[in-house]
Amino acid sequence: MQNGEFEPKLVGFLCRWCSYTGADFAGISRLQYPPNLVPIRVMCSGRVDPTFVVKALAEGADGVLIAGCHPGDCHYQEGNFRAFRRYPLLLKMLEQFGIEPERVRLEWISAAEGEKFARVVSELTETVRALGPLDWKGRTAPREDGVQQGKREVANV
Amino acid sequence: MSDAPQEKGPRFHAPLRVGVYVCRCGGNISDVVDVEKVAEMAEKLPDVVVARVHTFMCSDPGQGMIEKDVRELRLNRVIVASCAPSLHETTFRLTVMRAGLNPFLYEHANIREQVSWSHKSTPDEATEKAFRLVAAAVAKARTLQPLEPVRVTAERRVVVIGGGITGLKAAVDLSRRGFGVTLVEKTPFLGGRVARLDKLFPTETPAREVLAELFEKVQNDPSIEVLTLTEVKGISGALGMFDVTLETAPRGVTGPLDDPEKVFSACPVEVDDEFDYGLSKRKAIYMPWKGCAPALPAIDFENCTKCGKCVEAAGGKGIELDGEPVRRTVKAGAVLIATGFDLYDHTREYGHLPNVVTLPQLIRMLDEEGPTGGRLVWNGKEVKRIGFLHCVGSRQVAGIHEPPEGGRLNEYCSRVCCTATLHAAVEVRKRFPDTKVFDFYQDIRTYGRGHEDFYEDASNADVLFFRWRVEDQPVVEEGSSAPLAVRVKDQLSWNEELETDLDLLVLAVGMVPRDNRELLDVLKVPSSSDGFLQEVHPKLRPVETAVPGILLAGTAQSPMDTVECASSAAAAAAKAAAMLWSGYIELEPFIANVDEDKCTGCGDCLAACNYDGALSIVEKEKDGAKVKVAAVNAALCKGCGACVAVCPERAIDINGWTLEQYEAMVEAFVADYDENAEEQK
Repeated sequence: MQNGEFEPKLVGFLCRWCSYTGADFAGISRLQYPPNLVPIRVMCSGRVDPTFVVKALAEGADGVLIAGCHPGDCHYQEGNFRAFRRYPLLLKMLEQFGIEPERVRLEWISAAEGEKFARVVSELTETVRALGPLDWKGRTAPREDGVQQGKREVANV
Repeated sequence: MSDAPQEKGPRFHAPLRVGVYVCRCGGNISDVVDVEKVAEMAEKLPDVVVARVHTFMCSDPGQGMIEKDVRELRLNRVIVASCAPSLHETTFRLTVMRAGLNPFLYEHANIREQVSWSHKSTPDEATEKAFRLVAAAVAKARTLQPLEPVRVTAERRVVVIGGGITGLKAAVDLSRRGFGVTLVEKTPFLGGRVARLDKLFPTETPAREVLAELFEKVQNDPSIEVLTLTEVKGISGALGMFDVTLETAPRGVTGPLDDPEKVFSACPVEVDDEFDYGLSKRKAIYMPWKGCAPALPAIDFENCTKCGKCVEAAGGKGIELDGEPVRRTVKAGAVLIATGFDLYDHTREYGHLPNVVTLPQLIRMLDEEGPTGGRLVWNGKEVKRIGFLHCVGSRQVAGIHEPPEGGRLNEYCSRVCCTATLHAAVEVRKRFPDTKVFDFYQDIRTYGRGHEDFYEDASNADVLFFRWRVEDQPVVEEGSSAPLAVRVKDQLSWNEELETDLDLLVLAVGMVPRDNRELLDVLKVPSSSDGFLQEVHPKLRPVETAVPGILLAGTAQSPMDTVECASSAAAAAAKAAAMLWSGYIELEPFIANVDEDKCTGCGDCLAACNYDGALSIVEKEKDGAKVKVAAVNAALCKGCGACVAVCPERAIDINGWTLEQYEAMVEAFVADYDENAEEQK
């Protein structure tokens, strides 16, 4: 925490071919963005199992970025398309857990789009900072009355 | 390899001993990240035996330090935190290998591109992020298993796409290195655009002599198969083992004709001759030029009416009007794209004007075998005042030039046109001393060896130069006393507005990327933002595309002159040979792996897999019963992990990038660390 302000912890799953290289390119271009996101290199955005995202959130991350090649540019033909199809389901599931879908973002970032990478990380950091800590365990813990805490609960807050 | 113990022996089963090496990168990292602190904290991570800092880890002393530690401290996992893995991951894999460790027991942490260079103003947070990356790398490294590269047999054949000067040169070079070549040309004839040139700068060698030499070599070489009228329709497999599907259209002419001229004149169809860029006509059955290869006429079935007059004239011999396209598959280790360029279409800006030709058209006119027999005439009149306009369709600027509908501006320089223009201008002055030559340019870029001579020759030959600024584009209109008038604000005479009457204006049209979307969709190679095909790295890997085993050369990659095309062809041929030389290909071992105990043979992974044959469901004997399980073809699997993400049993995984490893990394990322603790969890 800096000046007592909440500093979100973000995990980024970046495809090895486009987005991870795009993130490197942001560095090479000396673009500055918040240090909150820690990147994990993945072979393909299509490899990002929804459980990776859930795992990250459950273990203490406040937000997740999934970034892959632009549609049509996938190194593995259509892996990013799979990521794209899976994403809405993931958001729906998170919503049912009472988790704001804005915490998880899917973006297409090419190896040349360092600027976009820096912008997306900055935006996601601000979005999650505004939402506050996720507190997965608190939100998903069974309540004493046995009712799973969910969307309605969050809406009542 | 050294005689150091191999980790596959008892040592691999020994307790984990992790070494962490944090690089300062000469200040690139250490000016922002507190590398000493990162190392100090890393040393407290579980199983970490040693953590050290070095100013340049990639230097010989840096690598030597790691090798020494691996041997003396009996390390069995190594992490280097330094620059992007694209730069030095392989370097350090080799470092640990030299010390006797399996190279895949190495893990890389990127704390330069994605930390120090990106978080300069927040050094504390940058240091924390660097440490988290190291912690995650340690977490992953603790679960790494030794892997062996996948070896597949490499096909010693290369498919070269494009029979222009680049493809021809590459084919000859490859054959001389002992490789089979399938040279695929879409049109009925080899030679491409160079066949339509007269003399080549800077040596003034006749273009078709150069081609004739290459034709002879290619056609007489038993290891080069030339397929004209052929296109690539499909590709599967990978580096070393592609299956390339080719489709050959019928030529119409199946054998030599006794009297070709008689057959041609019998044809009632007349169309624009593309060989002369539309300046002349040809028949539907034709040969473009005397020395063409193959020296067999072809029928242009797009325009042929199948009236049968040619068959009659040929006496029923050697012509077949009802041929069908033929498909076949060729096995090849690599594919070389040499598909060339298109010319900028100037008709949007200049199509409405009379007496305008492109530079390639003028070159045809200057050619003694060309449409005017080498005379400088237009519409029957001798050309006495000729102008050259540079940069038509090159170096376009937003706000000044309009992109075509749905298209892009050509912001690049086409490189060839300045010298080609001056070459032609000098030629005109030499051969037609009564013709005045005017040159309208924004910059003269005669960059190549010997090119500048043409600029000097043009100046000495009284070519009159006018220099315009990009914001003051020359205005070309129909003239009152001559067919055309060009108005320029001329920088060379202090921005005076000058008007020049012309009989003929020559447009130095630039090169544009070839419109062959269909082929590129098949090959899945990326284009650069200018539309030309993109190499992996302009200096380090200049002839490779992002698809391993698919190489590129010539003007498919960027504007080049013939000299540059030839050297790029030679480079691509050498690269293809280097890739396939050993007869086998070593692939990254990051491929799918099935846990047969967990696999239920449901086939979800198969449905998710993008690669034909990479996964299959096979029957196996298990506890006396037959069960179905997924099986991986190591040579075809690319390791994308699409299968892992859909497996309901978590039975399939990618070696080196396992679910367990990702989870370990995620945990390490988000864990709470206490920098004062005795030991981190």
